[in-house]
Amino acid sequence: MLPLHDFIGHIITDNIQAYNKLCVFFCILSVPLGKYRYMVGTHYESINRDYIKRLYKEIKRRADMENRINSAWLKKLFEKSNDIVVRPIKINQNNITVHLFCVDGLINQALFDEAVFRSLKFDPYLAQCKTERETMDYLLEGGAYHVFTIEEADYQLLVKYVLSGMVALIFDSEEKAIVYDIRMFEKRSIQEPSEENVMKGSKESFIEVLRMNTALIRRRIRSEYLVIELLTAGRLSKTDIALVYLSNIANTNTVNKIRSIINSIDIDNVSTPAFIEEYLIENRHSIFPQIMYTQRPDRVSANLTDGRVALLVDGIPFAYILPCQLPMLMQSPDDYANHFLIGSSLRIIRYMSMILTLFLPAFYIAATTYQSQMLPVQLALSTQAAKQNVPFSSASEVLGLLISFEIIIEAGLRLPKAVGTAMSILGGLVVGQSAVTANLVSPAVVVIVALAGIAGFIMPNQDLSSGIRLIRFIMAVLAAVVGFFGLTAGVILLITHLCSLDNYNTAYISPFVDVEKRNIKDTIFRFPVKYFKKRPKDVTGNKQFKQ
Amino acid sequence: MRKSLIIIIIMLFFQLYGCSHDMNRREIDEINLIHVMGIDYKEGEYVLTAIYSSSQGADPEKGSEGDEEVSEGRGSTPFEAFQNLKLKNKKSVSIANTGYFLIGEDAAKKNIEKCIDFLSRDETVKMESLIFVTQGSEASYFISEGIEKGQIVHEDLEAVEQKQQELVTRNDNTLVNILNEIENITTGVIIPYLKAEENSFLLGGYAVFDNLSLVDYLDLDTSAGINIIKNIIRAYPIYLDDDVALSLSYSKSRIKSELDNEQVKVVIHVDFETMVKEVNVNEDIFRNEALNNITEMQNDYIINIMKKATNYSTSSGRDILQIARLVQNQHTKKWSEIEGEWDNMISDIQYEFDVKSKVTKSFILGVGSGGFE
Repeated sequence: MLPLHDFIGHIITDNIQAYNKLCVFFCILSVPLGKYRYMVGTHYESINRDYIKRLYKEIKRRADMENRINSAWLKKLFEKSNDIVVRPIKINQNNITVHLFCVDGLINQALFDEAVFRSLKFDPYLAQCKTERETMDYLLEGGAYHVFTIEEADYQLLVKYVLSGMVALIFDSEEKAIVYDIRMFEKRSIQEPSEENVMKGSKESFIEVLRMNTALIRRRIRSEYLVIELLTAGRLSKTDIALVYLSNIANTNTVNKIRSIINSIDIDNVSTPAFIEEYLIENRHSIFPQIMYTQRPDRVSANLTDGRVALLVDGIPFAYILPCQLPMLMQSPDDYANHFLIGSSLRIIRYMSMILTLFLPAFYIAATTYQSQMLPVQLALSTQAAKQNVPFSSASEVLGLLISFEIIIEAGLRLPKAVGTAMSILGGLVVGQSAVTANLVSPAVVVIVALAGIAGFIMPNQDLSSGIRLIRFIMAVLAAVVGFFGLTAGVILLITHLCSLDNYNTAYISPFVDVEKRNIKDTIFRFPVKYFKKRPKDVTGNKQFKQ
Repeated sequence: MRKSLIIIIIMLFFQLYGCSHDMNRREIDEINLIHVMGIDYKEGEYVLTAIYSSSQGADPEKGSEGDEEVSEGRGSTPFEAFQNLKLKNKKSVSIANTGYFLIGEDAAKKNIEKCIDFLSRDETVKMESLIFVTQGSEASYFISEGIEKGQIVHEDLEAVEQKQQELVTRNDNTLVNILNEIENITTGVIIPYLKAEENSFLLGGYAVFDNLSLVDYLDLDTSAGINIIKNIIRAYPIYLDDDVALSLSYSKSRIKSELDNEQVKVVIHVDFETMVKEVNVNEDIFRNEALNNITEMQNDYIINIMKKATNYSTSSGRDILQIARLVQNQHTKKWSEIEGEWDNMISDIQYEFDVKSKVTKSFILGVGSGGFE
């Protein structure tokens, strides 16, 4: 059991408001609680009116100190952290001393020397300032040789700024600070997208630095209506999240909803994409991805102009796009880079591949185990011949090979690239061929599983690909249990599930279920651009015309 | 909501599972898939002869089928014979993948409906499977002879099917089609017949059934005439006095019936096109005069072929051209009055022909090969 004072101390450092509320709560309860004792360490301490009073005083003292910007407090707070710098700088003969507060390693050292340190030590006008207030005013009115300079009086914000790489000058008597944005940390350069590469089109992709990513979007949409709101999530990580939308197009309700969801995220650390995704999606139990991610700034800008909302998370090199619909996940940037007929053909192939990867193994099981009359005569005979001498049932063969396929994929991902390639050859060719030769699986099953596997990788969205791979198993099991009846039931359930999904007030499989058919022009077929006259109605509401 | 969904899924599962005890679960390699089935009637009982692939000689890696095996079943009815055939086999037997049913001459003479009734009641049978009559012999003889000569019977029958598709635009001898024709008792049922040649099966014309019993075989020209009138002809050679050979490349026919005092008059309009395939005369046949002459000759040729069909119909009193259906559709009210007398009226039907044609493609050679001799 956590001792009471440790428990309260924990809360103090976490959330001062909750702490104050708790104190009031304890004071109210002090009289009835006076009869009881609370275990502290190895001995009991009475929780009575005096104890609560003492506790409240201590809380108040620490809370007061915490709400103020004070170099001594900061020093104490970060005394165990070696990378946090809190050091005094005497700036003139009037005995004005400010405290430098920054994180070593996150700042641009050269810029710091030039913009901050040099001006503090050698600016003759600064020497004439007699008070800290005067000094601050001078620095804010242009005395500081840096454009991104602000005054900060909020302790919480100050700590957040500094921990994100800014430099602060603490003015103790004013209980304020001047913050310089001279962040610089090691980052990747902008590279080609690893997942969404195109032959024709932009070669830029997002990186881990939020500000760089927002700049990439701003460069593509030079509109005054482009809003980049900065939000924060993570009690300890305090991760920056940029909410990006076009204020004149995006649905206000959607923007507000996303904003409130992010503000309500109450976890310690936003370290992986799933931490954000799981809060944003509305149907958490569905295997289908309900949030689209992309590495490409041009794709984000295209969706923003369609009225959708983008989210950029610091440290994550891609953007989320909401609301997301299934046809979006089947689109690739290449569709728009090519002639519309080529783009349409590619999309048809993708949709066919999705059907193939979902149902081919299940179809094979059902056809070879229950309804062999479904197969054409020649195919039935060659399948029968291929299955001769194989000791396992078709269902065992297919399911076993599907699992093996997943194992090979997983192993290939975990191993180093060079070893992974060798392992794929070993797993795919050698083991596959040997299994056929040893009559463990029939050649037809190898072809079926390989075809289904390859077709699954055609999906432009990896989340969708993974989801479909899982559903493929379910379909195969249904077919193994009751044949085509099971497969049909699976298809019905799948379609019902897809129809029931609703994503930020838009149908997930829109526009296939829409009454208005105009959005169908950019789904299975990619019509010429001149036909894209309106934005999706369910996404943008009434602001529909884009041509 | 979630509970009800789970209940629905479980109920659906059990309902599906309850459709059959084991949902007919049978691995494909545990079944003898019959490719071809012969139906005969001999010595007072029906004999079914089935061909299926055995595991002997099958190559799993190449997916090549095994050797053909033959199995026979006997019984007082075709179904009893089929049950007998099932009992004799080591594995379960399925006609789900049977593509061809051969009906022996004796069985066809006995009653065609009896032969195929049990097939129509099997839920797995392919309704698109083709039915042929074996001319002059039993189906089992066709099958055994073929296997003895080293033929792969079902592949030979596939070749026959392809040849049939080269001649007609659709196969009317599918199981479903013949069942439909049998249902309409006023219509003369016609089924293509096969002749056994050395190392192959040859497609003959149509076998004619009267009261569901085989009565006659039509020659190729008469059968082609039926195909032209039924508007299903795809290609047909036309030989004009050994001088010019043409090939029919396009044909469209329209049939109109007129009913006047129980006298039926049928007008057959045919538009067709031909291509010149062979010229053995020493003159330029592509002059207007010559072409007109050829056109007239080919019109007469086609009329003669059609007349063979119509003459057979009127002389035998069998409605092999399905005129009854035509009259029924075009004169619905009057049909009810004459329906009972239709069989007697078939012989009195008057046929008129209105044929138009043209020679479409002359290719490069204008002068026939005879000109260079």
